[in-house]
Amino acid sequence: MSFVAFLTKRKWFFIGLLIGAFLLSIPVPEGLSPVGMRALALVMVSFLFFITEPIPLPGVALFIAVSQVLLGLATPSAVAQSFMSDSIFFIMGSLMIATALVKQNLDKRIALAIVRVTGPCTGRVIFGLVAVSALLSSFIGEHTVAAMMLPVGVALINFSADDTRKVRNLSSAILLSIAYGAMVAGIGSPSGGTRNAIMLAYWKELFAVDITYFTWIQHAYPVVLLEIPFISFIIYRTFNPEIKDLSRAIAALRKNVRKEGRMTQQDWLTIGIFLLTVLMWMSISDTIGLGITALIGVLLYLVAGIVRWEDLNNNVNWGIILVYGGAISLGIIMKRTGVAEWISLAFLNGVAPLGISSGLPLLAAISFMTLSLAAFVSSGATVGILGPITLHIAELSGTSVIAAGFITVISSSFSFLTPVASPACNIMYGSGFLNRNDFLKAGWKLILVSFVLILLVSGGYWVFLDFN
Amino acid sequence: MKFLMCTDGESYAEDAIRFGGKLAKEMNADVSILHVRPPVSASSRIQLTTARKKLDQWDLELPGVEYLIRAKEILSEIGLTRPIAEKKEEEKISHVFRSGIQGATELHLIGQHGELVRLRMREGHPVDEVLEEADLGDYDLIIVGSRGHQGISKYFVGSTALRIADLAPCGVLIAKNIREDDNFLLCTDGSRLSEKAEIVGAEMAQALGAKMTVLAVAETEENREEASKLARRADMILSQMGVALQHKVRVGRPSEEIIDEAHDHDIVVMGASGSSAAKKFFLGSTPLKVIEYGVCPVLVIREKRGKIALEVTN
Repeated sequence: MSFVAFLTKRKWFFIGLLIGAFLLSIPVPEGLSPVGMRALALVMVSFLFFITEPIPLPGVALFIAVSQVLLGLATPSAVAQSFMSDSIFFIMGSLMIATALVKQNLDKRIALAIVRVTGPCTGRVIFGLVAVSALLSSFIGEHTVAAMMLPVGVALINFSADDTRKVRNLSSAILLSIAYGAMVAGIGSPSGGTRNAIMLAYWKELFAVDITYFTWIQHAYPVVLLEIPFISFIIYRTFNPEIKDLSRAIAALRKNVRKEGRMTQQDWLTIGIFLLTVLMWMSISDTIGLGITALIGVLLYLVAGIVRWEDLNNNVNWGIILVYGGAISLGIIMKRTGVAEWISLAFLNGVAPLGISSGLPLLAAISFMTLSLAAFVSSGATVGILGPITLHIAELSGTSVIAAGFITVISSSFSFLTPVASPACNIMYGSGFLNRNDFLKAGWKLILVSFVLILLVSGGYWVFLDFN
Repeated sequence: MKFLMCTDGESYAEDAIRFGGKLAKEMNADVSILHVRPPVSASSRIQLTTARKKLDQWDLELPGVEYLIRAKEILSEIGLTRPIAEKKEEEKISHVFRSGIQGATELHLIGQHGELVRLRMREGHPVDEVLEEADLGDYDLIIVGSRGHQGISKYFVGSTALRIADLAPCGVLIAKNIREDDNFLLCTDGSRLSEKAEIVGAEMAQALGAKMTVLAVAETEENREEASKLARRADMILSQMGVALQHKVRVGRPSEEIIDEAHDHDIVVMGASGSSAAKKFFLGSTPLKVIEYGVCPVLVIREKRGKIALEVTN
């Protein structure tokens, strides 16, 4: 009995291994070297593991490392090197900085600031929540913002009615506006989401393209700003909250927050160090690297005594760092063995009959592919797997590698339909406040809008940017 | 007796808890209330923990804890548990929750007459976790609420409730459309299990002070005599317990006749049919149909797994 249970629980692991063995045994297809074939098998199996998660995701990263050596694709030290890079330092540093920010009770003050500006009208509060979640998350990361804003949302809901079951629509609207706001803004700047660091790594390692912090903001931030009004409007219209005036909830919230007192020296110091880090990202990170800059910020927090090492040890998701290391390592092996190029050629041949060969139509196809995958896989894994392929597609077809990269990253953050892909939605869903249907209700409208939006931006604004 | 009641925060689950609480109070049963929260993937657990800590700083409860607290309030409303002392009320309840007790987070309460009341929370898929809990906790009865208020949904039971009823290691009460009066309909088919069901049902009805009717269904007109003999025999056994009841015989397909008869009653009690050993642990088609299409609560009695079968001699 227990053996059967074990098998059913791990079935995808064994199915994956069988598929891998099958791929290794069939003749090598044209255009691919025998080494490439082994790499392809590894890519397919890892891809399956990322989707089905038969073992914890950090375990999949370990699987990638082990298989590379066992299949003779890379030497042990080459694998170790591909796991650790400045981008991984950047992810690590950003997560640690986020921990320092979460530790302070800034969320209550943020909540107060939002309602002070928006007033009691529900529609405006929702707009305020989307906008603030988006602006914050574009710099400090979506999972941090979701964790900070979740209590704000829940407090507003609880204070607005005695029985929260009577305000289901209001509650879905408020929580989704936080989740979606944080989710789409994760691509606003490189520090907004861990997947951004993967794309930076691919550009640098695979195509020797250096994108600075500022260039990134220049390209991606307009998308964030444009999305904010659409998200608030669509959420408000879709859920049509039962209560149109939140005065009661806001009064209760004010009373609750007033107990906090004034900002302490430590609060100011936390914000100060963070702003200094962002400033350094924008200025000197071109020469010393985003990762090292982030580590300077972490060091400052440790020196100032704002975080203890125990806080970092317990609250940083160390596993995710391993996952991203694995994803980047897989990307590098895909490039080196020619797998990425082979898949890209197959893709280009596949879409050629549709009249898609380069430029905007190709970007649309890439965006569509990313959107579809991001509905099932975490956005980090989506970028990790698709990144090398989309960049190669762009290079082979003579389209801008930078535009293709941005399209991939930005589309990966449009995972409105399911809670699996984005950490922000995952937090809302996992805490039990939202159910799956809520995501579907507003999600499909937002996907359509976002798809059109990103094409307009890439077809107009980016062309204009690169022209100058 | 030991009852397991499940809640998902919906009002039908709370009706079920109110009913189960009354029953527990009359029968001096220990009660566990279980909420199963959705599973969390290992990779997002740290982020979720951060979010939970934040909620804690704001003095906000997670939905699951909130449901259990509401269930606790219901139990003290109907007088099963003592009202919690003033001082304890101020203390936040989630702080009293202790984790790691048989795979669940749990809070103990003591009932008015010394019954043990537990609030338990598990994480995972509802059906699996409820069955796991039932296995570990050695319960006698699982009480599951089911949607069934208005419109077409009145006639359908959620698949969660149905699967629990099918796979549970002990008796299950599927509570839907609970009414105030308690009028028991005991169904007999002459099997040993249905005799046990009659006795358990009669005990409960007695505890609640409810009226009872014994129903035997004959598949064809020729079997009518046999069925009425069964009904009379049940009547006889139960009258030895000092219970007054009516008995009734109907002709037709058992599930349809029971559902039809149940319109005038509040709770249907039946054995988890199947006289062969292999069938014993799975529900026969008749109880499943009654659960799915009947309009009132159904109590399904089965031999508790791993226990010596209760012998009934006449």
